[in-house]
Amino acid sequence: MSPVEFLRNRFGLPEEWLQGLETITEQATVFIGTPEVIRFNAVKPLRRGLRLCRIFPHSIKPTTFAMQLLGREATANQIEVDEQQAKQLINGGTVEIAADVENGFVLISWRSFIIGVGIYKRPVLKSCIPRFRPVD
Amino acid sequence: MKGVRKLFPEEFCRRYEQFIPDFDLFLEAMLTPLPKVFRINTLKAEPEEVMPLLAELDPEPLSYLRFAYTVKNGRGLGRQLAHFLGLIYIQEAASMIPPVVLDPQPGDKVLDLAAAPGSKTTQMAALMRNRGLIIANDLSLERLRGLIGNVDRMGCLNVVVCRADGIVLGRKLAASCDRVLVDAPCSSEGTIRKTEEALRRWSVRGIANFSRVQKGLICAGYQALRPGGQMVYSTCTIAPEENEAVVAYLLKRFPEAEILPVELDNFVMRPALTEWEGDTFPSAIRRCRRILPQDNNTEAFFVALIRKPDDVTS
Ligand SMILES: C[S@@+](CC[C@H](N)C(=O)[O-])C[C@H]1O[C@@H](n2cnc3c(N)ncnc32)[C@H](O)[C@@H]1O
Repeated sequence: MSPVEFLRNRFGLPEEWLQGLETITEQATVFIGTPEVIRFNAVKPLRRGLRLCRIFPHSIKPTTFAMQLLGREATANQIEVDEQQAKQLINGGTVEIAADVENGFVLISWRSFIIGVGIYKRPVLKSCIPRFRPVD
Repeated sequence: MKGVRKLFPEEFCRRYEQFIPDFDLFLEAMLTPLPKVFRINTLKAEPEEVMPLLAELDPEPLSYLRFAYTVKNGRGLGRQLAHFLGLIYIQEAASMIPPVVLDPQPGDKVLDLAAAPGSKTTQMAALMRNRGLIIANDLSLERLRGLIGNVDRMGCLNVVVCRADGIVLGRKLAASCDRVLVDAPCSSEGTIRKTEEALRRWSVRGIANFSRVQKGLICAGYQALRPGGQMVYSTCTIAPEENEAVVAYLLKRFPEAEILPVELDNFVMRPALTEWEGDTFPSAIRRCRRILPQDNNTEAFFVALIRKPDDVTS
């Protein structure tokens, strides 16, 4: 199963998920972008599009930034949190929550937004979200 | 009024009093803190979803920029969840003008020659609805890290990030780009309202150094354009050596280049100069625009819209 198929199944995403986009795998990281981005070869870029996921020997870890954008249609393995919990999680914390999801990587949602990726081990939800660095 | 002048170098006042109308108002505006402005990142959400999250800040829409808002007390803006989630991008209003003037379309191939930290790259990605290609280039690795962070946060799928001297990259991509943005490194006189550092670093010698780099970048940007393609050259500075003189240099090297008019509803811009300290510029340069801080309560900016004619072969 490809990493994209794995993510689609795990999060119950529609068949046409990522249609019109392409991926490229470099050093166990899958990048996603427009076809022009993925095929760009005029010079060697530092980065193409967004990091979609990282491939580990026994798991595939989606990235927070890709799922914030591309995960909003998820129907499975998603945990909804309130504002207080969202703030805790984006500051690197954990929350205890009884959710009807499988253990492992989950999407964390707040209101209509995906705020990022977490790891769930009943009943603890641990954040994988890059730390919030406020600016002024 | 005399007191305000004392806060600026004498040479600064001598130079700019010559052509900036309402000069004392200008100086006062330069010392007044800027309003906090943000734009909604339409790649991630609709305004109706985002605005309720910011209700406590009471944002007011800007009449001249779609999806841009100002807040009276902006201190809390960078701490909002909406900011963390990439639903908004905090960006000075005048800095949003060059991408709007360039008007990149979904599917275009766009070169952003001096792109870090990516305010305009991410704005263009939104204008292009995450389609096509933006080649976001900068020379500074440190600043590119910030750009990659912004590309991630804003969810840009149509951006490749490159590190090269823009002068070399522009030539490498010769005649291939639909649009080019040259938001040039500059003496940043226009940002004095944001940081007094710009005032402390100010010198006429600094201006001359920037002017040299800018001339290289504008020509490289023009070379990267396909026939019929358009380029915006912009700076956040006032010095004519970094603005009109740079565009005049392009016209000398590429006499066929066309200078197009720049206009924006509900936003005051002044025509560019046709002469400066003994140098006369081609009359077409008047079509370029100067943005003055006292006119719209923004930073100072310079914007030129340039087109490569259809029948140019290289
Ligand atoms: C005004 S800033 C760009 C701001 C950016 N466009 C934005 O909106 O966020 C100018 C940039 O030019 C870069 N620069 C300076 N010399 C350069 C060169 N020769 N080639 C490419 N970039 C250069 C600087 O590192 C700096 O990041």
